[in-house]
Amino acid sequence: MYSYKTGIPQIDQTTGGFDAGTNLLLLAPSLSYAEQLAYTLTKPLPGEYAIMLSTNERASEVIDQFKIAGADKKFVGVIDAITKSSTPSVSDTERFMFVTNPTDLTGIGIKFSHMIETIFDGTFSEGESGLFPPPIRFCVNSVSTLLMYRKLEVLYQFLHVMTARLKKIEGFGIYILNSEAFDEKTLSLIKQLMTIVIEVKVERSDNYFRVMGIRGVNADWHKFTISKGQVILAL
Amino acid sequence: MISTGMYGIDDMLAGGIPEGSRVLYSLEPGVDGQLFMISTLYEALEKGRSCLVIIPHTTVDAFLHDVGELRGKSLKNQDYRIAILDSVDRERIQRRVGKGGTADQEWQARIKKLCIDNKVEVIFGYFDIIYDDFGLEKGLSLLSRACCPPESTIIIEHLNLEGDTFLESLAVRKAFDLVLAIKSSFRPLPHFNYFTIVYTSWSPQLRRSVPFLVKNGHIVPYIPKIVVTGPPESGKSRFVANATELGMSVDRTGVGGDVTTVAMDFGWLHWKDFDITLYGTPGQPRFDPMLPVILRNAMGVVLLVDATNHEQLTRARHLFKTITKMHVPIVVAANKKDLPGLISEEELRKTIGIGKNIPVFLISAQLKEDVRDVLESLVDSITRFIY
Repeated sequence: MYSYKTGIPQIDQTTGGFDAGTNLLLLAPSLSYAEQLAYTLTKPLPGEYAIMLSTNERASEVIDQFKIAGADKKFVGVIDAITKSSTPSVSDTERFMFVTNPTDLTGIGIKFSHMIETIFDGTFSEGESGLFPPPIRFCVNSVSTLLMYRKLEVLYQFLHVMTARLKKIEGFGIYILNSEAFDEKTLSLIKQLMTIVIEVKVERSDNYFRVMGIRGVNADWHKFTISKGQVILAL
Repeated sequence: MISTGMYGIDDMLAGGIPEGSRVLYSLEPGVDGQLFMISTLYEALEKGRSCLVIIPHTTVDAFLHDVGELRGKSLKNQDYRIAILDSVDRERIQRRVGKGGTADQEWQARIKKLCIDNKVEVIFGYFDIIYDDFGLEKGLSLLSRACCPPESTIIIEHLNLEGDTFLESLAVRKAFDLVLAIKSSFRPLPHFNYFTIVYTSWSPQLRRSVPFLVKNGHIVPYIPKIVVTGPPESGKSRFVANATELGMSVDRTGVGGDVTTVAMDFGWLHWKDFDITLYGTPGQPRFDPMLPVILRNAMGVVLLVDATNHEQLTRARHLFKTITKMHVPIVVAANKKDLPGLISEEELRKTIGIGKNIPVFLISAQLKEDVRDVLESLVDSITRFIY
């Protein structure tokens, strides 16, 4: 089974990476390094592909972020739920697909399927191909925004389908959720769909994370920073 | 009748959708099924019908652009009789009345007014946001006779996150005259989309499921693999050649001038709006290692038997046992009906072990009508198969 390296030494050294089919919740407060951490986790390594569902940034901004993280943009696809509201005539390409807004779960699901299809049939990366079957990282940035547009029950059902599909295609899913904006019931429902939770906290401007759900990895807090897509643990 | 815009489906529905019906296109998440509603919309508009389109999830401009791209033909609202309620209207309603409260009455008033002002005949509604906002009962009543003209046809697309139980509950309460579910499956093919006619109020037909492709902005029902197998010289290559429009056979001519298939026959046909691909296997036992490869992912199998040759029946029995293990629809065609010494259907059934539920056709593979009868029966069985 394929293992997805995380770029977090504490995890990769202990486990060798996450198993294919893992769904990871990144639970973090506002103004933390959660988004950068998500880009690090989603960044495709050689032979891999990545898809970002963006409810907060335009596709061009997402690609810029991936470039900063050191990713090859030919292996990155974006489902953009922002741009079409201001530019209705924007058209889909293999790697950039658009839905009008985050309410359109039908559109999001279909665009996701299309991207997976183009990855599998080898037309995604301008003739270049990665491994086969293709390892695919998929990030939802963010579940918090989706929750503002749709009811919790509906979103739970939708994410249930998406996480199951990620398992079926042996991908790796990363879902960002703001830990401060929702009640315990919401957090616990979303956690039910996940295999692993990475929690981030900020204390005196320092970011810490802890990992829950991996056997053999303790759930202690680790102080960290991120530079050029690399997670750097403070000693 | 209102055409669905998909002629193969119109055939299955006995001509299309009766006017005044209520139709649900239910989409499984991630399945590329938006063209079902869009095909019906285009068809209604092009027939000059006045349509109201309710799109609370998107804006008019984005919707017109997207459906134009999906269909490969632009939809300009000035060219057709079309009125639209979109996400901007939804926001206006929400701002005016706040969430819940009397928002449903505001929706009702707007729908009624647009229907009267535009003499609307067909209403197309995207349901999942309405369902989110108002729940099932109130949501359905917004898209019902309570708001829409009594003679109007109502067509709804819904992202079904609740699965078959949701559809069954709708069928039980007879909320719709037609429920068509659009889904995907991984068997017997690695991955394919299909639609199922779950329920119709005007036709007693059984539930039907048909795989489909999206091709040049149209839904094309398709059967990617039907395999024709049988003993040597039973007429498989002739059958494939006469069934299809395009195709080829990998044959070898022996010393005595006899021709036998050494790899496979292959042919393609577009028939009754279906795209169908036929594969024929070699019949000689020495090619048996190839059979599992050719039979893999077949959606139906024709077993062809020379009905004048007793010596072939043991081989036919062996092949029949192999294909029954696949659990896909099978039709048996007893070929060479025009020659003397025919074996009776009873004897064929008894010797080969063919059950009563499998049809046996007496044919001549030289005759295209006979070949098409066999295919028609098999396609019918495939569309009734539950994936």
